[in-house]
Amino acid sequence: MRFLARRLLHAGFLLAAVSVLCFLFTDLAPGSFFDGMKLNPQISPETVAALKAQYGVGKPLPLRYVLWVKSVFTGEWGFSFAYDSPVRELLLPRARNTLLLTGTATALAWLIAVPLGVWMAYRPGRWDDRLGMGATSLLLSVPELALVLALLCFAVRTHAFPVGGMTSANDEQLGLLARCQDLLTHMAIPAITLVLANLPLLVRHVRSSMIEVLDAPFIHAARGHGMAPARVLIGYALPAAANPLISLFGFSLGGLLGGSLLVEAVTGWPGLGPLLLEATMSRDLYIVVGAVMVSTFFMVGGNLIADALLIAFDPRVRTD
Amino acid sequence: MAAETGIRHAPQPALMRVIGLNKTYVQRRPFSRKEFVLGACKDVTLELPRRRVTALVGESGSGKSSLATCLALLQQPDSGEIWFEEDQVSAWTAEQLASLRPKIQMVFQDSAGALNPRFSAAQIIEEPLEIQRRASKPELRLRALALMEEVGLSADCSKRLPLTLSGGQRQRLAIARAIALKPELLILDESLSSLDLVIQSEILRLLVDLQSRHNLTYLLISHDLSLVGEIADFVAVMHAGRIVEHGPREKVFGAPRHGCTRELLAFARSLESDFQAATEVQA
Amino acid sequence: MPGPWKIRTALGVLLLLHLAILFAGFVAPYAPASQNRGLPFVPPMRLHFRDAQGHLRLRPSVCQPELNAGTFYEYSELCTTEYPVQFFVSGPEYKIAAVLSSHTHLFGVEIPAHIFLLGSDNYGRDLFSRILYGGQISLAAGLLATAISLSLGTLLGAVSGFYGKWIDESFMRFAELFVVLPWLYFLLAVRAFLPLNINPMRAFFLVVAVIGTIGWARPARLVRGIVLSAKTRKYVLASRGFGASDGYILRRHVLPHTYGVLLTQAALLVPQYVIAEVTLSFFGLGLSEPLPSWGNLLAALQQYNVLVSYWWMFAPALALVVFSFGYLLVADELQQRLQSASL
Repeated sequence: MRFLARRLLHAGFLLAAVSVLCFLFTDLAPGSFFDGMKLNPQISPETVAALKAQYGVGKPLPLRYVLWVKSVFTGEWGFSFAYDSPVRELLLPRARNTLLLTGTATALAWLIAVPLGVWMAYRPGRWDDRLGMGATSLLLSVPELALVLALLCFAVRTHAFPVGGMTSANDEQLGLLARCQDLLTHMAIPAITLVLANLPLLVRHVRSSMIEVLDAPFIHAARGHGMAPARVLIGYALPAAANPLISLFGFSLGGLLGGSLLVEAVTGWPGLGPLLLEATMSRDLYIVVGAVMVSTFFMVGGNLIADALLIAFDPRVRTD
Repeated sequence: MAAETGIRHAPQPALMRVIGLNKTYVQRRPFSRKEFVLGACKDVTLELPRRRVTALVGESGSGKSSLATCLALLQQPDSGEIWFEEDQVSAWTAEQLASLRPKIQMVFQDSAGALNPRFSAAQIIEEPLEIQRRASKPELRLRALALMEEVGLSADCSKRLPLTLSGGQRQRLAIARAIALKPELLILDESLSSLDLVIQSEILRLLVDLQSRHNLTYLLISHDLSLVGEIADFVAVMHAGRIVEHGPREKVFGAPRHGCTRELLAFARSLESDFQAATEVQA
Repeated sequence: MPGPWKIRTALGVLLLLHLAILFAGFVAPYAPASQNRGLPFVPPMRLHFRDAQGHLRLRPSVCQPELNAGTFYEYSELCTTEYPVQFFVSGPEYKIAAVLSSHTHLFGVEIPAHIFLLGSDNYGRDLFSRILYGGQISLAAGLLATAISLSLGTLLGAVSGFYGKWIDESFMRFAELFVVLPWLYFLLAVRAFLPLNINPMRAFFLVVAVIGTIGWARPARLVRGIVLSAKTRKYVLASRGFGASDGYILRRHVLPHTYGVLLTQAALLVPQYVIAEVTLSFFGLGLSEPLPSWGNLLAALQQYNVLVSYWWMFAPALALVVFSFGYLLVADELQQRLQSASL
C-alpha cells in the first residue's frame, strides 16, 4: 500500500513537471504570441480584457502558469481563443470519442494478439510461426499513415464502409439500434487501422514472453506429468508470463489517448487528435497544453495501473 | 610531515605504515531513513617492512580486501593515517597522490574480471605505460614484450585475448601489468586462490623471483595458510575487521595468541594430516 | 530464407535504396520541380520490350500518353512513335554534393517525349524523380535526428551512470518525463509554438532538432545501464590505480561496451524518425512545397479524387515500407547478435 502511495505521489510530480515543460515551450515562440490574438476579429475586446485578467495573457510566464493551474482546479482548464470557450468543454467530448475508438481497437488487438502469440510460441520455428513472424515484420514496417490511406481507398472504392466522421448526417432520425450500427460502420476503418498497427508488436511480445516461460523447468515437469497442453499453456504458462504482459497492458492503456492522432485526422473521426492539429495550426495555446496534459495523464495512469496489477498478481514484487 | 620539520629520522624499516585505519560502508536506499552500516576495517594498525613479504590472513568477510583497496589508494578510509616512506599520504590531495600511484600496485583475485576482455595481452600490459607516458608509441610494444618474457609468457600470447589464456597465464599477465610501472609495493589480493595447486607454486616461484630482482615489498592477502607459510616473512591475522595478531611468521605460527589464529592453523594442519593419512593409505 | 542470406538481401536492398537516393540527381531523369502542365496524373508508363513487328528487344521503349478527348485525366497510349529508353543521357543540370554539377542522368528519352516510370502528379511532375529527391530530405531528416538523439543520449547517460549519486537521481527523473510524454502530441505542441511560415531550410533543421531532442531518453537509459555495470569492473579499478583520468576510463574501458547497443538503437530509430518527419510534413507542419518530402508527396492523397483514382500516388508509401522493412530486419539481426554476445 505504501508503495502505491509513493507511486501516486511520484505520478503527481511527473504530471506537474510535464505541465511546466509544456509551458516553457510557449516562450520559444519568436514574436509575441498574443498580439496575433488581439488582431483576431472573432474575439471581442471584452474577451481579451477578461482573458488578460483571468489568465495573465501577455504577462510573464510564471504568472501565466500559476493562473492556468488555478483554472485547472476550477474546472475550466484554460481558454480557447479560436473556439471562444473554456478548454474543458472542448476537450471532454473529443476525448470521449477518442476513447471509444481506441478502447475498442485496443481490446480487439489484445483479444487477437494473446491467442495468436501463445499459439506461435507453442510451436516456434514451425511454418505457422515463421509465417506469423514474417507477417508481423511486414506489418510493423508499414507506417500507420500508409495503412490508413490504403484502407480508406479500399473503403471508398468498394463502398463497404462510410468514410469520414463518426455519424451519418441523418443521425437524429435513427432509432437506437440503427444508431449503434451507424456508429460501428463509421468506426470500422479507423479501428481496423489501429488494430493492424498495434497487433504486430503485441503479438511479438506475447510470443517472446511465452517462449521464455515455456522453456522453464516447471513447464517441462507439468508436461512430463502428462497434463493436457491446453491446460499447461493457459493454467501454468500464461500466468507465469504475466509480468511483462501486465507492463505491456499498462503501456497500452497509457497510449489510449495519445496513439490515434494520425488515424483520426485522416479518417475524420472527431477525436482529440484533429482538435490538437487544429489548435497547432491556429496556435491555440491552452488547447494544446490541455490535450498534451490529458494524454500524459493517461500515460502516467496506465503505468500506475500496471504497477498496481503487478503488485496484486505477483507476490515477489511486494517485498520491494 | 617529518621532512618539513627539518628532522631527519633514520630511514624506517617499514615501507608503509597504517595507524588506526577505519573503513565502514553505509548503504542507504534513496528517500529512505534506514541505513545499513558495515564495519569493514576497525582501528587497523599495521606495518609493511621494506623488501619483505607480509601476509594478511583471515576468513572471508574479515575485511582484508577493504584494507587492501585503501592501501592501494583506490579508496579513502574514513579515519586513520597511512604513511608511505616518510610521508603521511592519507592527508594528500588527489594531485599529490597521482605521483604516488605508480609506486603502489595491486594484483586482483579474479584475473578474468581484472583484465578488459576486449584488450589483447600486449595492450593490457601497455595500458599503465601509456597512461603514465613512460614510453613512446613504438617503444610500448617492446616494453610489453620484455615484461611478458620476464613473467614467463611466450611472445605469441601477445595478440591473444585474456579469456583465451589459461588461469595461470592470465595471472602472469596481471602480474606483468602490475610491475610495468616499477612499483615499490605490490599488493596481491587473493591472487593465487583461484588457481590449481601446481600453477600456484609456479606463480609463487615467479613472485619470489621478481621480488629479489626488483626489490619489491609484498602484501600477500590470502585465506590459505599453507601458501602463506611458504613465502611470508611476517604474518598479520585479521578477524571481523580488526588485526588480532601480528608478527614474524615463526612466532605467529609457532605460538599463536588469538583464538582465531589457532583455529586457522588447526584447520590447515588437519587438512595436512588428512592428506598425509590418505597418501599413507595409498602407499 | 534462412540465416545470412536474409540479412544480406536486406542490407543489399537498403544499400541500393540509399545509393539511389544519395545520387538522386543522377538516377532521376527530371528535376523535382519541373512541371508539365499538359500531362497531369499520367499513370505509370509501360516499358515495351517488343517492337511494332512483335520482335523482342533488349532496350525498352515507351509510348507517349494522349489525353482522351472529353475526359479530365484519362489517357491512352499513343504508340505511333516509340521512344527508346536511352542510358547515360544528357538532361537537366543537377549538383552532386552541392559542389560539382553534371548533366548526365542514368536514363531518359528523347525530347519532346517524357518517361514517367511512376506516373505524374497534378502538375505533371515526374513522381519517380520526386520520390528520389524527397527521399533525400526524409532520409536526411531521419539520419540527422537519430544522430542527435544518440549523441545526447550517450552523453547524458554516460555522465549520469559514471558519476552517479545525485546526478544520476536527477537524470533518471528527467528522463522519465520524456519517456512518459506522448511523443506525437508533444512534437505537435512544440511545432505549434514555432512560426508556421519559415524558410524551408530553417524548417528542416528545426523539425530535425525537435524530433531528435524528444527521443533522447531511451538510448540514454540504455547507455546509463551499461556504464553503471561497466564501471564496477575490476579493470576499471586497476586503471585508476595506474592513474587514469575519468576521460581515459570512459573512452577506453566503458564506452566501447555501448557500441553494440547504439548501433541497434540507430537501426530502430532511423525509420521511426523518418516516419515522424513524414507525418509532420503530411499535415503541412514539416517541410512544405517546393521542397519534396515523402510526407508532402503523400499529402496529395488527402484529396478524395486523388486517393481513389490515382493509385500510383501511393508510391512514396511503398518506398517507406521497403525502407522500414529493411531497417527492421537489420535491427532484429543486430539485437540477436547482441544477445548472443552477452551470454
